Amino acid sequence: MKTLVIMNQAPYGDWSGREALDMAFSLAAFDQPVALLFTGDGVNWLRREQEAAAISQKAVDRNLAAATIFGVTALYADQQSCHRFGLDQHTMIAGITLADTNAGLLGEYDHVISLS
Amino acid sequence: MSNKISHSTLSFTLVITGAPYSSQAPQTALFFARAAVAAGHRIDRVFLYGDGVHLASALASPPSDEPNWSRQWCEFLNQNAVPGVACIASALRRGIVDEREQKRYELGANNIAAPFSIAGLGEWVEGVARSDRVIYFHGGS
Repeated sequence: MKTLVIMNQAPYGDWSGREALDMAFSLAAFDQPVALLFTGDGVNWLRREQEAAAISQKAVDRNLAAATIFGVTALYADQQSCHRFGLDQHTMIAGITLADTNAGLLGEYDHVISLS
Repeated sequence: MSNKISHSTLSFTLVITGAPYSSQAPQTALFFARAAVAAGHRIDRVFLYGDGVHLASALASPPSDEPNWSRQWCEFLNQNAVPGVACIASALRRGIVDEREQKRYELGANNIAAPFSIAGLGEWVEGVARSDRVIYFHGGS
């Protein structure tokens, strides 16, 4: 049972992304295969050097950098969305696989979740 | 193919992430659950996540001429012996507390509506691994 969790909202303004991430980490903790796909506004999760303490929140980029250590199999970023938000390998955290969000990618998973 | 699906019995895990009275998610999920059971399918578990945990509050008191979704859900769970679980992390952040968490955090009250219980995301993971279908009811935006 392979699961893909889609992150399509910008970080911080909305709690759903954080809770979707908890779902992904939880699957990984129980040895269920899971990958993350960042698309639309959601690619901003991947931006380097976020200063979330200024708004009394925890930075999400460090959390994500540890995702593969916790057993998340892959972190995909939608190529077009990255381009739209000016994200490239210099401004994104390491370990991200660029992808096209299409039926081919989604079809590789038994279970596709988006919380918003 | 459509024949096969309509005649076979499926097991479902329902995940509700929208709160009552700010979204239709709990109502839509309840109507889905009633229809599924009436058609001979099985609901393995109802999992409340995010804002959906507000459905497990015993203190919601809508006006008497409006549906009480928490009460209707509790009746459905009792009648069909379906476990209803609120995610502990979501619940504690939003002030949905059972007696055990009340003691642990030394809070002034608890408010979980029986038969809902509080547990971890592992309950949802089990649904993903075991149920034939996992259906999500979101609040939308």
